[in-house]
Amino acid sequence: MTARVDRNLYPELQRFGATDISACFNCGVCSAICPLSVDGASFPRRMSRYAQLGLRDKLLSSPELWSCYGCSECTDSCPTSADPASFMAAARRYAVASYDRTHLAYLLATSRVFAGVFVVALVGLLAAFMYSVHRPVDGSTLAFFEFIPSDFVHNLGVAAMVVMGVAALVGLFEMVRRVLRGPGVGTARAAIRKAAGAAVYAVGTESLAQARFRKDCADAVEVRPWYAQRWFIHFATMWGFLGLLGATMADYGLELLGVKATGTPVPIWYPVRLLGTLAGAALIYGTTVLIVRRLRKSDRSSAHSTTSDWTFLAMLWVAGVTGFALELGLYLPQAPAWGYPMFLVHVGVAIALVLLVPFGKFAHVLYRPVALFAIRLRG
Amino acid sequence: MSAKQPTTIPGARAAEPKARRIGVYVCHCGGNISDYVDVQAVADAVRHEPGVVVAKTMMFACSDAGQGEMEADIAANDLDGLVVASCSPKLHVVTFRGVAKRSGMNPYEYNQANIREQCSWTHTDDRAGATSKAIGLVRGVIGRTRLTEALEPLVVETTQKALIVGGGITGLRSAIGMADIGLGVFLVEREAELGGWVGRFGPIFPHERDGRELIAGLVVEIKKRPSIKVFTRAEVVTKTGTFGNYQVGIRVAADPPQTITAEVGSIVVATGFDSYQPAENEFGTGLDAVLTLPEFKDLVDHADGPLRHNGRPVRSLAYIYCVGSRQPDGNEYCSRFCCTATAHLSIRVAALDPRLRQYHLYRDIRTYGNFELLYTEARKSGAVYVKYPDDAPPVVSVEAGGGLAVAVRDLLSGDEELEIPVDLVVLVTGMVPRKNEEMVGLLKLPIGRDGFFNEIHPKLRPVETMVDGVLIAGACQGPKCSAESVASGLAAVTQSASVLKKGVAELDPLVATVDPDRCTWCGKCETACPYGAIEKLSLNGREVATISEAGCKGCGGCVPICPENAIDLRGYTDAQITAMIDGLLEEAIA
Repeated sequence: MTARVDRNLYPELQRFGATDISACFNCGVCSAICPLSVDGASFPRRMSRYAQLGLRDKLLSSPELWSCYGCSECTDSCPTSADPASFMAAARRYAVASYDRTHLAYLLATSRVFAGVFVVALVGLLAAFMYSVHRPVDGSTLAFFEFIPSDFVHNLGVAAMVVMGVAALVGLFEMVRRVLRGPGVGTARAAIRKAAGAAVYAVGTESLAQARFRKDCADAVEVRPWYAQRWFIHFATMWGFLGLLGATMADYGLELLGVKATGTPVPIWYPVRLLGTLAGAALIYGTTVLIVRRLRKSDRSSAHSTTSDWTFLAMLWVAGVTGFALELGLYLPQAPAWGYPMFLVHVGVAIALVLLVPFGKFAHVLYRPVALFAIRLRG
Repeated sequence: MSAKQPTTIPGARAAEPKARRIGVYVCHCGGNISDYVDVQAVADAVRHEPGVVVAKTMMFACSDAGQGEMEADIAANDLDGLVVASCSPKLHVVTFRGVAKRSGMNPYEYNQANIREQCSWTHTDDRAGATSKAIGLVRGVIGRTRLTEALEPLVVETTQKALIVGGGITGLRSAIGMADIGLGVFLVEREAELGGWVGRFGPIFPHERDGRELIAGLVVEIKKRPSIKVFTRAEVVTKTGTFGNYQVGIRVAADPPQTITAEVGSIVVATGFDSYQPAENEFGTGLDAVLTLPEFKDLVDHADGPLRHNGRPVRSLAYIYCVGSRQPDGNEYCSRFCCTATAHLSIRVAALDPRLRQYHLYRDIRTYGNFELLYTEARKSGAVYVKYPDDAPPVVSVEAGGGLAVAVRDLLSGDEELEIPVDLVVLVTGMVPRKNEEMVGLLKLPIGRDGFFNEIHPKLRPVETMVDGVLIAGACQGPKCSAESVASGLAAVTQSASVLKKGVAELDPLVATVDPDRCTWCGKCETACPYGAIEKLSLNGREVATISEAGCKGCGGCVPICPENAIDLRGYTDAQITAMIDGLLEEAIA
């Protein structure tokens, strides 16, 4: 089938940070050196070629974009300094923006000013919205859900989940109709078992357990202890977030079941609190290390940071740190003055984080498992 | 013209060989020869040939040590003949003639047997056969050497002026070079203006200098030199004389036309090239937005902002490479300059408009030497290079909306079939030889298979032709960029100076001679001579042939033609050839 060349793709990708691909002369060293590139799903060279030629459809139909863990070994070996690792990251941002129908992801990824203003404004709006329904509280102890009714917070959270869910489904549909239409996938219907196996692999082995990140993307040059390796930092961040999400859900569930009201003090060993505390610690550890590495550019994979990287990391970190501070404040003998404002910030950031899942770097939780599924199905 | 008669030893043409003292040296050439030829066996086999006094092997006969050993042997053994069995005479005959001369021997008493190209390199699978063949060849050359005669080079007085045909950058720069080295110059240009192709160009690689300014600067320099006489709208119409002393008729298209006769010692042909003109419909030729490389260069040279063609902005364009070059059923050669010229243009286009997308559809990129940097720069400026298969050239078509689309297969994306919508298609057209039949016939210029003029050897004698004193330079001898053309033009200056500046030149005396007693003037030899060196002469009331020694190249073409066997070639006399055959056959029979 003839592919039509789009002369605008290349300048568009440049806006997403793919600044050096014109240097690429397609020698293929990057694909040869990549521990994750395999026959039938090889990258980054082929992706870079699609970008150079302006084959927009080919690029957006390539699940290979999401195979990459950004270790930057390709960039280290590139003879023309075309920085294929940064290109892959830019192409992923471009894919996120392309699967999004609202243009929001495009603006968040391409304009630093817009991203900053938008995120702060969104958090501020959410906080203000909550503050508009606040009730007077006495100052002796922090009672967050006296301050803002728990039903209101819960309903706001559920609404955010629904909005995000719709946007995520639209994005996933946009991706799936491209990625899953390649040759060989047609046999999927007949092979449900194969599909199930691929799904387990994509979601379980690869996404939750991160098998290949651990095995193949070990820090090749720099030997670090396990707790400082890239895969573990990501693992701590991801499971920290999932743990907090789980604890929040469970807390809400307990209230629905009438076991305990949301936000009431419980001993440290109380399972939901224990889970939340451990997960929060993991999230703060992970995001702090990631932020420090990006600031110091200490790591070849953290040498280039974009607006998407910063907004995502900053929101995660703020959510984690304010959460901890609130827990601390809750058990202080005297209610601190910053308690209620911080509560508003914490909930605002958490809800903004959820709302923005399909529009930024967070979107990889949606698209990566689908891409790995598609590749597994194909191979 | 005045040529001194070569001094020959009286009676040298006698058939009986005199008693000779010959040294024979068989070269290992490192192993180039001795790996496949038993050089010791060769030396042993010819040791007792009549006249051989010394026979030995050498690791490298051409080395200082080898030459020194030969010189010592010649002195110690009073040798009067020398044979080296080594490489092709083209490579080292001058070297070993030098050995003979330094040792007081006549240089023409030296002969070379080629047992490398003719034995070791060709018979790598047959050591015994190669050795046997080498023995035969060496024995033959010894037989020839027994019959050599001492010869002196022909000495010709030369006119210290040069004719340069072609007023392009090569001709102009050569003229300045000639004048500065003290030679008079007649510069002949067919067009009304000097400058040729470069005179029409804006900035050119490799130095980014403006072609028009470059030419204007050269013309100013030429005007400063009174020893250069420039004739524009002029052509060379006649040529007589021989090496060192040519009389050339120049016809100037004035009113009325005048013809000037110039006396020159050498002629430099720098007539340049034509640009390949694609046939109608070849890659869309004939369509408004399909340009050749020179047409596109003109467009870029005259642009002072983002490119526009026929009033419309150009937002994307495709270059199609190798148009008229490397075609199996057309010009098979590579035009060499076009890849670099296109990369250079691409960079300039990107500077005019960084948003213009440029697609280079190529077969192979040959930006040789430092030009690789231009290729890299072009790529980094955003140009996309698409390698298409040799057997599937791009197809240019008109789209429904009137725009152009180029269909091409891209090998680098896994043979993806692409359709590139573009506003302009540039056909990267190569160089083709100029049609100049009259001048070619007049100057007897040798033409190669590709239609360009042929030098004797592209590396060893790059500007000389088979005709002494007629030199070629620039793109008339094959595709070249302007810098290479200028370099070859200056080589022609040096070559001219080396023969003209002394006022006399030496020529090889290995030329054909006529025995007037036998000659009956049938005229066959005159027809056979490719150099026009044979004329009819009245001698004592008889008509006989006479051969100009300065004009003869010693090719031997007239010798077998002669029905009376009246012509012999010095150095390759009938007796010597017979002796060589005998020597060769002796080994074959044994």
